[in-house]
Amino acid sequence: MIRRALRQGLRGILLTWLTLSTLFLATRAATDKATLIQGTLEGNARVSGLPEQLALTQQLLHRYNLDRPLFYLAWQPAAGWQWHGSHNQYHQWLLQLAQGSLGYSYQEDAPVMHLLGRALRYTLPLTLLAAGFSLLLAVHLALWVSCRPTARSLVLAVLHALQSIPLFLLAVCLLLLLANPDVVAWFPAFGLGDAETEINWLQQPGYLLYHLTLPVLSLVLVSLPALTIQLDGALQQELSQKYIVTARAKGASRSRAVRQHALRNALLPSITLLTELLPSLVAGSVVVEVLFALPGMGRLLAEAAATQDYPVLVGAAGLTALVRLLAQALADMLYQMADPRIRLSQ
Amino acid sequence: MKHLFSGLIVLLWGSLFYSCSPRAANTDTGTVRIHWVRDPENLDPLVVDNSSAYEVANLTNCSLLCGDDSTQEFVPWLAESFPAVEQHGDTLLVSYRLRPEAAWDNGTPILARDVAFTLKVMNCPGLPIEMDQAMFGFVRDIRLHPTDSRQFTLVCLGASPDHVRTSGDYSILPEHILDPEGELRTIPLPHMARTAATPVVQAFVKRYQALQLAKHPERLPGCGPYRVSSWQNGRFLVLARKSKWWADALPVPPRQLQAFPTRLIYQIIPDATTATLALRRGELDVYPMMPAGEFARLQKSAAAQQSLTFSSTDSYDCLAVSFNVRQAVLRDALTRQALSYLFDAPTLNRATQQGTARLSAGLISPRIRQYYYDSLPLPRFDSRRAAALLREAGWQQQQAGGWLRSTRQNSREPLQLRLHYRAGESAFETIGLQFRAAAATLGIPVELYPTEQSLLTRQVRAGATDLTLRTLTGNPFSYDFTPLLHSRGIGASNTSGFSNTLSDQLIEQIATTEDPTRKRKLLRKFQRFLQQERPFTVLYFLPYRIAAAKRLGKLPVTGIRPGYAAARIRPVSTR
Amino acid sequence: MRVAALSTQQPRHWWLAVGWLTLVCLAALLAPGASSPPDFAQLSQPPFLNARHWLGTNAQGLDVGQALLQGARTVVVVSVPATLLTFLLGAVMGSLAGFLQNTRWQASPQLLLSILLPLVSSVIIGPRWLVAQLLLLPCLAMLLWLGGRQVFRGWRGVPVPVDTLVMGMISLLDSLPLLVLVLIAAAVQRPSLSGLLLLLSLTCWTTPARLMRAATLRVKALPYAEAAEAAGLPATQIIRRHIWPNTWQVLLTRFPLTVAMLIGFETTLSFLGVGLPPEVPSWGRLLAGIRQSPTDWWLLAWPGLALLLTILSLQLLARRK
Repeated sequence: MIRRALRQGLRGILLTWLTLSTLFLATRAATDKATLIQGTLEGNARVSGLPEQLALTQQLLHRYNLDRPLFYLAWQPAAGWQWHGSHNQYHQWLLQLAQGSLGYSYQEDAPVMHLLGRALRYTLPLTLLAAGFSLLLAVHLALWVSCRPTARSLVLAVLHALQSIPLFLLAVCLLLLLANPDVVAWFPAFGLGDAETEINWLQQPGYLLYHLTLPVLSLVLVSLPALTIQLDGALQQELSQKYIVTARAKGASRSRAVRQHALRNALLPSITLLTELLPSLVAGSVVVEVLFALPGMGRLLAEAAATQDYPVLVGAAGLTALVRLLAQALADMLYQMADPRIRLSQ
Repeated sequence: MKHLFSGLIVLLWGSLFYSCSPRAANTDTGTVRIHWVRDPENLDPLVVDNSSAYEVANLTNCSLLCGDDSTQEFVPWLAESFPAVEQHGDTLLVSYRLRPEAAWDNGTPILARDVAFTLKVMNCPGLPIEMDQAMFGFVRDIRLHPTDSRQFTLVCLGASPDHVRTSGDYSILPEHILDPEGELRTIPLPHMARTAATPVVQAFVKRYQALQLAKHPERLPGCGPYRVSSWQNGRFLVLARKSKWWADALPVPPRQLQAFPTRLIYQIIPDATTATLALRRGELDVYPMMPAGEFARLQKSAAAQQSLTFSSTDSYDCLAVSFNVRQAVLRDALTRQALSYLFDAPTLNRATQQGTARLSAGLISPRIRQYYYDSLPLPRFDSRRAAALLREAGWQQQQAGGWLRSTRQNSREPLQLRLHYRAGESAFETIGLQFRAAAATLGIPVELYPTEQSLLTRQVRAGATDLTLRTLTGNPFSYDFTPLLHSRGIGASNTSGFSNTLSDQLIEQIATTEDPTRKRKLLRKFQRFLQQERPFTVLYFLPYRIAAAKRLGKLPVTGIRPGYAAARIRPVSTR
Repeated sequence: MRVAALSTQQPRHWWLAVGWLTLVCLAALLAPGASSPPDFAQLSQPPFLNARHWLGTNAQGLDVGQALLQGARTVVVVSVPATLLTFLLGAVMGSLAGFLQNTRWQASPQLLLSILLPLVSSVIIGPRWLVAQLLLLPCLAMLLWLGGRQVFRGWRGVPVPVDTLVMGMISLLDSLPLLVLVLIAAAVQRPSLSGLLLLLSLTCWTTPARLMRAATLRVKALPYAEAAEAAGLPATQIIRRHIWPNTWQVLLTRFPLTVAMLIGFETTLSFLGVGLPPEVPSWGRLLAGIRQSPTDWWLLAWPGLALLLTILSLQLLARRK
């Protein structure tokens, strides 16, 4: 048992390292490092002339340690493969990583860990609430629907219609309908309240919930259809199996057959969705966070991608990859619990 | 299912009930809430690299001089008056005297040695000084007056009048916080760069870094009227007015030393729709740089008119088409002129700016009356003239459509163009579609390339583009076109690749001339020259649009970013 | 034969769905190739009031009716093929990972050698003499394989960890949100129409693959699949004959959802400005126009309706079969 856990853990670490290394090397190799600096110079018309700009670019590259070669080995058209030794960006990054540091952000001059922690404080309440509500609603809706075949096609059609609306449109519509003084202004338009309002800890949860209503609602509405439809499809397939017929023949009501017998089996394919759901909890949602002015992970990632802030990008990706691996292990475990016939290879 | 829904409803109602109660403890009249698109990110006074950070730096710190939009000149801020200048060959000696009232928060006066200390910090190896070096590196030395502790002379390399203004354009840092023992006093400024290894400098660098000013600006209160009282990255930043600020003692403070609001709250909202809603609901007081469409829509709405005021000023930012003259098809001025006639600037102004932008004949804003050459023709759309100019440039229209001309190597080159612009900007897209359609009527194929910012920068630098749409930011103080059009800038910021000896000469003359009449003559000559040569076609100068709550009274707007002077907003007391 | 049987049984709304999809395909075929120039005289015109633009115009003077027709083509050319590609890739990867796991496939030494040796030598040579490499290295691989068959006769194969490899690829792709992945890709190179298609299929196959893997695991444990394995049938045959017929239902229910997801994703990309080239109209781009002018309801209504009908029709067809 312990050996198995150890092996799983080792494999996880190896996979994370591979993922991060690929990302690190791919992002840095694919982009031109001088452009990164150029972005900061662009806003400044005073720095004139080519020699000055080249010197400045060189200095800034040195500050970010970008003037070193990228990897131990590099291809040079003239000399073929060149060995650079340990004086390279990758080696340095790996050393830092071994010490538990993800490096410093170029943009903000703050440790990446710190930035990730800050962003998670906004993202986690949002995504956890959304995931909780949509899971609850999806299971209930799927069960409800499978007991009422007449309403099923209507509900499914509505869900498909809902699914066809892109998230940003849905969020904009909610915003323009429910936070607009011209229509109804039930909910705040953005953020988590203003800077000056002082609230005590008793009011805190309600206050948070009130401000997160619209963002959570848009996330729930967007993720509900896929979950419900998936679960419903699986339930329908299970309901045509012989054991259900047996159960019904033995006198179980339809709803009892669904709840007691079919649900357990139908949940199995949905467990894979768990491996998708958990990482997206930490990754946040760019659209919702931009629209409702929440400085969470999604916005951090998108801004890092736009400004080529690689340390942040790789750090956030590492976090997601880690959560993904954990989710994968969890899903495998749940599989075996739900259906002991499944044997996973060692 | 039923109890789930009822539970949800109860939860929502409960949250509504709870959250409505604390909302009463709200704004007093001195508070002004302003919209920001992005976080300042880094508030280290040595690294000011976005507009939000710049705004904060100007409210928490003072520099010697500051730009004034109404007079279009630099005015003294911490300095008592505009500095006296002496020229000795290639060096300028700029002599300042500080205001006698100027003092830090603890009452110690601001003296010349604080300025000397600031310059030393900006030259201190090991700190993030690269940008400061590039901008203020020309200040080589500082000479303190032997008797008057408020008087000093800056020794500047290079005899440009711009250097006089720039020499006073950085925040002055307090020596008594960063270097209470005065350890750096013994090191002369020119030696700073070479003394990286000395223990004194190393200890100072450590002390500076330990403060983590990038995220903790409150640890270094400047001599400005405000201090950072709270900052939640990505959400808001609050500036509080100091109860005792040195300029309050002045009997009649000049405009640059006025500061009325007791609190400035900057709310960071990246999305325009959300920000407009927040403004309508009174969750924001000032919405600067409003998009044209939203602004026009609100102006027409009766409900918004009751609670909001609308103001708009011409800025010094223009939207221009840059021709890459290194491309063979664009190497001659006639072709560039012809293509300029295919941009329908008046219509585009209507379509993207609601007709509020100001058309201009060249790179100088029509707002600067004394230098703008108003007898040059404004940009207009004329496809027949474009076709005639193309023929004049040697292009021949083909029967099958398209244009060809023979090159020196006796091969034939086709006229086909790519138009690059920053992705995600709807105004640029509209301009691109208009140009594409206009060129198509003449049979010129145009491909549009909306490109992500960093990729665009790389391509433009590599000279891999034909036409590029870009916003050029300007100001009314400096007329140095070296980065943009001088041959020294080629490969760096002169992205059109245009240069010739005449223009190089003109640019240098303009940059070194102080006399207004001569400058006017030179600038007019330069504008006429650019109209002929067309490395750029300026379509229009953009207005800054600001919507604000009625209770703020008349908003002090400026044509320089951010478009308003936050410290001079005077909230009218509400009934 | 089966079609005839279907046609007599199908209710009316089945025919409606088929009719609408045919209409979309027809629109895609018949839509004008080049978009007409923007009409700057009539920006943000409401529908039915204007003789020339009877479905209205957007804030850029684009005719909504024409853009709808051309948007149909984008749906047919980009979204549906991207979904099919995604599913194909996902199904193959997922069922291979689920069926072969880490030990089932034992690659013979000559196969490994003939793949690895040319690969390694190509890396060592580096990006030089590309034509010669392209010609010679496959020959080398062939020789190694043929020769290896003699030399390694009787050797045991090496187990290939297919499951780990596929799951590793999935975790690599999924460690960044799709949107950010595409943003990074856009920062490196501007995607063209075919590039976008490829990008979407290469990044979206992970979900169908994971679903397929789970379903395969389940079916593989059923007695008849075990029996087939015990009978010594080749893996490809078991997957094709015994696993797929029982697993593809899982994907089918997701088909309309994925088409919708991709259309929505393309919308979001167009809205960010990194998606399709600006002269290619799409329903998503029309919808995104609502951000600039929130009062223009017709920008929401027409493309929204078209999108809705398409998704519902696809869903209906997927359920009926």
